[in-house]
Amino acid sequence: MQLDFAARELTIKLVYYGPALSGKTTNLQALHKAADPSASGRLMTLETRDDRTLFFDLLPLTFRDAGGLAVRLKVFTVPGQVIHASTRRLVVQGADGIAFIADSQIQETQHNAESFMDLKENLKSNGLTLKRMPLVIQFNKRDLAGIRKDDEIARLAAQGREPTYLAVATRGDGVVESFIGLLHLTWSALDAEHDLNRKFGFDSDAFLAQVARSLGQTRPVSELLGDCVGGALDVLRPEAVP
Amino acid sequence: MTNPASERNLDSLMLGGDIRLEELVDREALGEMVASFYELFRVPLRIFNDEGLILADASEQHALFTYLNTFRNGRRALSEVVDSVKNINPGVDGEATHRCLTGSVYQVTSISYDGRRIGRMILGPFLPPLLDEAPRAVLELDPAIDAAKVKHLMAEMPRAREDTVARIARHLKSALTLILFSGHKALLTSNMHLAAVRESYRELEQKNAHLQEAFDRLKELDRLKSNFLATVSHELRTPLTSIIGYSEMLAEGIAGDLTGEQGEFVATIREKGEQLLELIKGLLDLSKLESGTMSLRKASIDVGPIVEDVAQTVTPTARKKGVQIEVDIDRGLPLLWADADRLRQVLLNLTENAIKFTPEKGRVTLSLGHTLMEAPDADGEALVLLPNRRPALELRVADTGIGIPETERQRVFDAFYQVDSSSTREQGGTGLGLSIVKRLVDGHAGTVHIEDNTPHGAVFVVTIPCRRATLS
Repeated sequence: MQLDFAARELTIKLVYYGPALSGKTTNLQALHKAADPSASGRLMTLETRDDRTLFFDLLPLTFRDAGGLAVRLKVFTVPGQVIHASTRRLVVQGADGIAFIADSQIQETQHNAESFMDLKENLKSNGLTLKRMPLVIQFNKRDLAGIRKDDEIARLAAQGREPTYLAVATRGDGVVESFIGLLHLTWSALDAEHDLNRKFGFDSDAFLAQVARSLGQTRPVSELLGDCVGGALDVLRPEAVP
Repeated sequence: MTNPASERNLDSLMLGGDIRLEELVDREALGEMVASFYELFRVPLRIFNDEGLILADASEQHALFTYLNTFRNGRRALSEVVDSVKNINPGVDGEATHRCLTGSVYQVTSISYDGRRIGRMILGPFLPPLLDEAPRAVLELDPAIDAAKVKHLMAEMPRAREDTVARIARHLKSALTLILFSGHKALLTSNMHLAAVRESYRELEQKNAHLQEAFDRLKELDRLKSNFLATVSHELRTPLTSIIGYSEMLAEGIAGDLTGEQGEFVATIREKGEQLLELIKGLLDLSKLESGTMSLRKASIDVGPIVEDVAQTVTPTARKKGVQIEVDIDRGLPLLWADADRLRQVLLNLTENAIKFTPEKGRVTLSLGHTLMEAPDADGEALVLLPNRRPALELRVADTGIGIPETERQRVFDAFYQVDSSSTREQGGTGLGLSIVKRLVDGHAGTVHIEDNTPHGAVFVVTIPCRRATLS
């Protein structure tokens, strides 16, 4: 997070992590497509000739609340391919929240796990810990055959702390829901640490609603957040983290 | 990590903090674009960064302003215009116009990127199409100003409608935004690339350090192992010598006559004792060679007699096995600077090996000849100055046995390595002989390798350079 008191500007870094070809870039494209042009900048993709992400994708979203505070969201993806380990480490540096995009196909289970361990390692080498990192999990590609069953995911997700969403990013299904979940969690964590709501007279509920509207959602935020199939949406206060 | 300063840079670049216009565009190219714009529309255009530094300028002072500048009040009024245009704030993403006392107009448009203003472009001055008469404000500057001249000069000013210029400015701005986006992308890519390379380098360095540490530890362990081997071999040899000595005395009947069976048992004890002694000697040699404590007593020697001597030594064994020994020594060979005992050991080892793996009615041939070998110390440097080939002696031990597969030919020289461990049980042997051979040959700056013997069998070829040698 970067805070510019003078300009009343807050920059938040959100990172979409996950194994190769799990749909991180597709998530960003769907967000970009859904976003109101006044809120969204151009989607920057640094990709190779075969459409694989080389360094990262970057979607800038800017919102201004009623009190005049500009919240600049920088949404990044990491390159999923194993060889880009150093780039992933650089992109995840200073992340305020992470969406882990998992591939729902049963055959990808191992890759999901490896990528998650890789995330843990990279956070650690950046002096961060997963325990204190706002994290949502998205099971993408729900439209494919050979995927892990809904109830299986729900059962496992219910045992975990991370809010878990189901999505078909190619159709845009579940993309905004996951994003709102991530933003809610990230803002709550930043607010718990920096007391942002009080310092800026910021109404975080109204802000989330504004973001959801800008992303083309007509449903209330509570309903969007409720789409998660497991995990907890309330954030631990930092002092409660062991 | 390695370079915190530049990484903070990357971070701020990624989050879009303090991006500067001049970082995202090539100034020269921007200048060209602005010039071509001016050529097309004849409206002056200047581009400033957010601190007011001019980055590109396509304008020339119009004759009207040159004329007004010749009057003191004119000069003052015009410089006020310049100041106020410079200070116009069109907001983060907006536009504004300014009209000066001559009636000419300046269009100021902000250049923004990622929700922040990073510069401004100023179009003008230009005159609205319908303005012909010199404004009173101009004439009032100084009674000496010539109204007719002002009118004449005004007719030469660029003319444009304000809304047209505003539209042009917006188009120009959107083109510029695209350029800025591409510039930002390129800037990010190159910075990310650098950072990724640096990060990979750091990682490699770290791994190298770990490897080096592990290597050093292994080297130390290896040294300890060699020391241990040397000590143990020594300690084993002492009691073994007694065992062999006493069994010899028993066999000779010093302690009384032995029955036939007793004699057989004692002979077995002695034979196995000798075998064990050979193995221990081999281990000792190997550890000495490995630790570099074996000293070679080199002298100018004639190798021919050594070959003949070895052939004689092995003849009884060969005869017992039905293997024929042949010797072929070239005439007029140079002397060799070598340790005669060790060279004999090499040759004996290879020959015994050859007999061991040659079936009945087979043949083992020892040959000695003259050859040239690559200078091993040339190292690719100043080759032209060095004799790249030097005279050497080549010792060949050829057998007609089972041969050694191509893939095994390097590894047979490793200690304890056996091509086929089942043959060891059949043929005996410690697996140390060839590694000792290799090390002894190395000690003579020579080489040893294996070739095929047609139609079957193997040839061990030892080449040793004739340093300090003279023709005999």
